[in-house]
Amino acid sequence: MASTTSNSVGGQTNVRSVRPVLRERLAPWAFRAPLIFMVIFFAIPMAMTVVFSVFERTMFWMEPGFTLQAYENFFFSARLTNFLNSMKYSLISVVICFILGFPIAVFVRKSIPLVAQHRVVLLFILPFMVSEIIRVFALRPVLQRNGLLNTTLTNLGIIDEPITALLYTHTGVVIGEVMSFLPFIIFSGFLAMEAVPKFIFEVCDDLGVGPWRRFKDVILPLAAPGIFAGSVFIFVNGLGVALLPNILGGAGAVNAGLIATQAISALDFPLAMAVSAIMMATLMTLLWIGHKLFDLTKILTPLS
Amino acid sequence: MNEYDNPWLHRLKWTYLLLVVLTLMIPVLYVMYISFNANGFGANDYVFTLEWYGLILSDEILIGALRWTLTLAVVVTLIAVPMALLAAKYYKTADKKLFVVFLLLAPLFVPPDILGSALLVSFKNLNAVFIWLGDGLGTSLFDSWFRLSFMTAAIGLIIYTLPYSFVVILITMGRYRKEQTEAARACGANGWRAFWDIEFPQIRAGVFSACAFTVILVFNEYTRTSLLKGGFDTFTTVLISQMLNTGMSPQSYAMSALISFVAIAVIGSIILITLIRAETLARIARGKPEPVTP
Repeated sequence: MASTTSNSVGGQTNVRSVRPVLRERLAPWAFRAPLIFMVIFFAIPMAMTVVFSVFERTMFWMEPGFTLQAYENFFFSARLTNFLNSMKYSLISVVICFILGFPIAVFVRKSIPLVAQHRVVLLFILPFMVSEIIRVFALRPVLQRNGLLNTTLTNLGIIDEPITALLYTHTGVVIGEVMSFLPFIIFSGFLAMEAVPKFIFEVCDDLGVGPWRRFKDVILPLAAPGIFAGSVFIFVNGLGVALLPNILGGAGAVNAGLIATQAISALDFPLAMAVSAIMMATLMTLLWIGHKLFDLTKILTPLS
Repeated sequence: MNEYDNPWLHRLKWTYLLLVVLTLMIPVLYVMYISFNANGFGANDYVFTLEWYGLILSDEILIGALRWTLTLAVVVTLIAVPMALLAAKYYKTADKKLFVVFLLLAPLFVPPDILGSALLVSFKNLNAVFIWLGDGLGTSLFDSWFRLSFMTAAIGLIIYTLPYSFVVILITMGRYRKEQTEAARACGANGWRAFWDIEFPQIRAGVFSACAFTVILVFNEYTRTSLLKGGFDTFTTVLISQMLNTGMSPQSYAMSALISFVAIAVIGSIILITLIRAETLARIARGKPEPVTP
């Protein structure tokens, strides 16, 4: 069918050899290649974490079998407490990111001319593109006892004693998470605000609606899918990026990522896989809840 | 700004926005500042020096690591960006858009350590299966397919960078009108010519940005690379293992600053080019009559 249309549309009859036909048969598969790649090397390995997590642990590796030892190791030890704690601090980071970042997204959409909006958002790409590892490590000289923040505050006479609670504590981890993930809430907030037409602000002004009610009753419901996606991103990464507690945290600052990497260093592969499976389950549950509540496909409208 | 806004409030909001960008950049700028100090971090007097950078460039391990990093970055870019382009083209015509987009964007939501661990264990198991298969068939042909190597690291990084490239390319494709491809096909062009001569020039900016993003992301990445690499080191893995083992040395400040300089230079030039291009296009557009829109 394809060959007849292309012949008649061109208004000329061309002699077809075998090669173009073969090429036309292969072409649709070329377009599917990225998806096949992602299924083989991403979806299947992520799903297999559940299978590997019930394998038996051997001295240096693991062997097929069925045991819930790894889950027992996770749920009946300090790991669970640490995991729940890191959830709490991750949630605090999400809230702080939202309070600091979302108003910027609203401001850019509301008060900056359409042509300039993308350029302003590009400003936040700059810190995001500096290696996250470097940014996290760079917080050490800033937050340390004799670091930039403490010396500046002391020189200004605001504090007498250096603040030591900023680093190697849960506060340090939260600061690190906010500094690392703030650009994300701005990007996702910016995308989310696409669902809030500019005239809505004018309508609210004309009706005499205050900023708080406008935010609560109009912006929040419309932009909810994008805000939710951004928050899930920050929450899950706060749980999963091992370097944040590793570099900035002190005693007890352990998240799922760190449990997994420590398990790998200890050659306890089933435990690492159990943690990965638990993380994937957490992520999927959150996305599923979000989808039921706000229909996350709405975020994709600007993309299609 | 619109006429309802209070001009002072508007300026205040702008100040806040720039302050946030500055705060996010301060740690990096501070590291750069320290990296030029002959006395290192925390010293009372500041003496400008390029000594630490000289040390990096004369360190053979680091230069070797830099070479591996660049090779990895180039290979991943050459594979991931065309894949993202194919995926974006497929997404445009796909029936089950949700599945496609979920599969391609999900890696964004999976934290680095979790993705790295899952892939590491999968590759190790795959390797064992292949060796077992080879033994059964009496051949050693399959033995090293999925041993941790350059290839496994590249696969991990492709999974990590593909979503970013996909989104960037998809956004630029949004401005392309597919009637142009139909017109080209009607004039007798084949699919490839229609893409290369008509569509590609219009999405070129997106493809190049995707390339730049991929190079930077690979250059910056530590966790996935360090879990999946074979017997080689990249710039960040050397840096982080130094930092974790011996703490921050003046040289590690210089290395961190160097990585940041590269990223800022690449992104800075993209932003500048975008701005200049937008200006030129606007100037050209002003000289033309309004396009007829259906």
